[in-house]
Amino acid sequence: MLNSIVKNLMLKLVIFTFTFNLCVAVDASELHITLLTSDAKPMPNAVVYLLGSGQSGQQEIDRKAIMDQIDGQFSPHILVVQKDTQVRFPNSDSIKHHVYSFSQAKVFELQLYKGLDAEPLLFSKTGVVELGCNVHDWMLGYILVVDSPYFGKTNGSGEMTLNVPNGDYQLHIWHPRIVQTSESLRQNINMNGDTTLLLNLSQALLPDLNQYEVEKGDFSEYE
Amino acid sequence: MNSAQVAASILCLFFSVAFVKAAEVKVLAQINLVKSDRQASWFEADTGILAYSENGFNVQQGILKLSDSISSSLSYDMVANYYQLGEQHLGFSQAQLIYKPLSASKIRWRGRAGFFYPNMSLENVDVGWLSPYTYTQSAINSWIGEELRVAGLELTAYSPGRSRNSPFSWEFHAAAFKANDPLGAIITWRGFALHDRQSLNNERIRFAAYPTVVETDRINHPNYVEPFHEFDGRLGFYIGTHLNYFRQSSLRYYYFDNQADPNQVNQQRLYGWRTRFHSLAVQHEFNAQNRLIAQWLSGDTVMGERFVAADFESWYLMFSHSNKQHRVSIRYDNFKVIEDDVFAWDMNDSRGDALTLAWRYTINSYWQIGLEHHLNTNYAASRQSLDQELSIHQQQSLAVLQYRWGQ
Repeated sequence: MLNSIVKNLMLKLVIFTFTFNLCVAVDASELHITLLTSDAKPMPNAVVYLLGSGQSGQQEIDRKAIMDQIDGQFSPHILVVQKDTQVRFPNSDSIKHHVYSFSQAKVFELQLYKGLDAEPLLFSKTGVVELGCNVHDWMLGYILVVDSPYFGKTNGSGEMTLNVPNGDYQLHIWHPRIVQTSESLRQNINMNGDTTLLLNLSQALLPDLNQYEVEKGDFSEYE
Repeated sequence: MNSAQVAASILCLFFSVAFVKAAEVKVLAQINLVKSDRQASWFEADTGILAYSENGFNVQQGILKLSDSISSSLSYDMVANYYQLGEQHLGFSQAQLIYKPLSASKIRWRGRAGFFYPNMSLENVDVGWLSPYTYTQSAINSWIGEELRVAGLELTAYSPGRSRNSPFSWEFHAAAFKANDPLGAIITWRGFALHDRQSLNNERIRFAAYPTVVETDRINHPNYVEPFHEFDGRLGFYIGTHLNYFRQSSLRYYYFDNQADPNQVNQQRLYGWRTRFHSLAVQHEFNAQNRLIAQWLSGDTVMGERFVAADFESWYLMFSHSNKQHRVSIRYDNFKVIEDDVFAWDMNDSRGDALTLAWRYTINSYWQIGLEHHLNTNYAASRQSLDQELSIHQQQSLAVLQYRWGQ
């Protein structure tokens, strides 16, 4: 009697597991991307996002994000958010910052006194928002606003994985050092099962100015 | 309007604004224990070139800095100081309005007006124009803190490298000012000195009563100077340029000319001194822990019908290393004044070199302790008129407790 109950439960578990796996396999796939520069080196920190019919599947994501200021730098250097995201600008430094943007996607300025928690800003237009600080002229950061919940940034090996519902998409790539136009980098992809893409940029990148972000000792500027 | 009136007006404006809106406040105070040199200093109307004349405890300084934004583009800051040493104990050393509009252009501009330092030093980067490296500052910046201040307007064109996708950032400064006509008197008669005593808004700086200077049948000048007077209505000017490679290396060149009329003399018998100089400063940060800073300054000054005239030159090289809460800095200074005037009996040649070693330990964001030892050899021909040794060795040791608030 006990034996038959256990067998019955195990059968149900197997059927449930099979059904669950089948559902995932049918509804969503993994997109694995490797992005290389024109000289075949990994391209880190590049934004990859998908636009298209598949996004009607709706992945719930948190529409809140943070662009911090740490050690006199924007952190992260590049923030990707979905359209209609509230972005907070805390100031983790003990100095005042004065963040501004003249970009069409969002024109604003925020005087960020130390310890002040400014109201978050709504980013409701898609596009690149270039951030500067009027106190520290070397500071530079970006917020890329995209009309999609399917986005990410490549890691140090130039790799990134997205889990997206099956369907047709346009794949977009963006990074401030990439010279090629967004149109020339755009690709149509059909997601119907796990997909691996190896992408090569055809033109050399703009100069690497990452040294502006190198950690500085105390008293590198006038107080 | 003299410099004091200009500064007082600016102060009134600052305070009225400060009451409307809360300002950012920074405080720094230092007390010290000194083992002084035997040779008394110019503060005691003597000929030593170090600040302290007696062993003991002192309030080295107190600094209050107020700053705030008035609008998006307009801000102010002012620095009030307390000193135990010197003629004036309380006053302000800087007060300025800064206009810096937001801009996305590759070449931008900003301006400032008030009573301030040209940013020619890479040594004086702490709050209130202090050095975070040594307590006894370089001969060059000891002199600038003592005799030079601009009551005027500075305009700056600048280009942040990051806006041009370039590792190089540049700035070009041009300024016109009044009220620094006696600049040059101190380094000519006393010679260069090494200290951290910045002169205050209406300061009077004493020096030894050299008979050739004070006697009525000689130059007939008091044994003090008030460096921030305007005698002739002429505008002084300076131009300067900064070039930075990333945030790692900096070069700053300035040419300064107070354009004073050397034949102007006031009722106190203080003269205008026409003083011009070049300043070149460099800094290279090897990494976050180690940096090298150097500065070279060379110029000339003349008073009256070449009654007193001299060329002056100084340079220093400093290495600073920080490790966690420790910072160790060592600096070599070299300085000289060579006279070139009509009165053979007023001897103003002076020269010397110095070594300063400082260790500073930051306990927390409020407290810091430090030790410094300084030694120099200096020669001043003017000591002959006071029957003193012309060439002397001087030493001074400091133990300093510092309190900082508002960072």
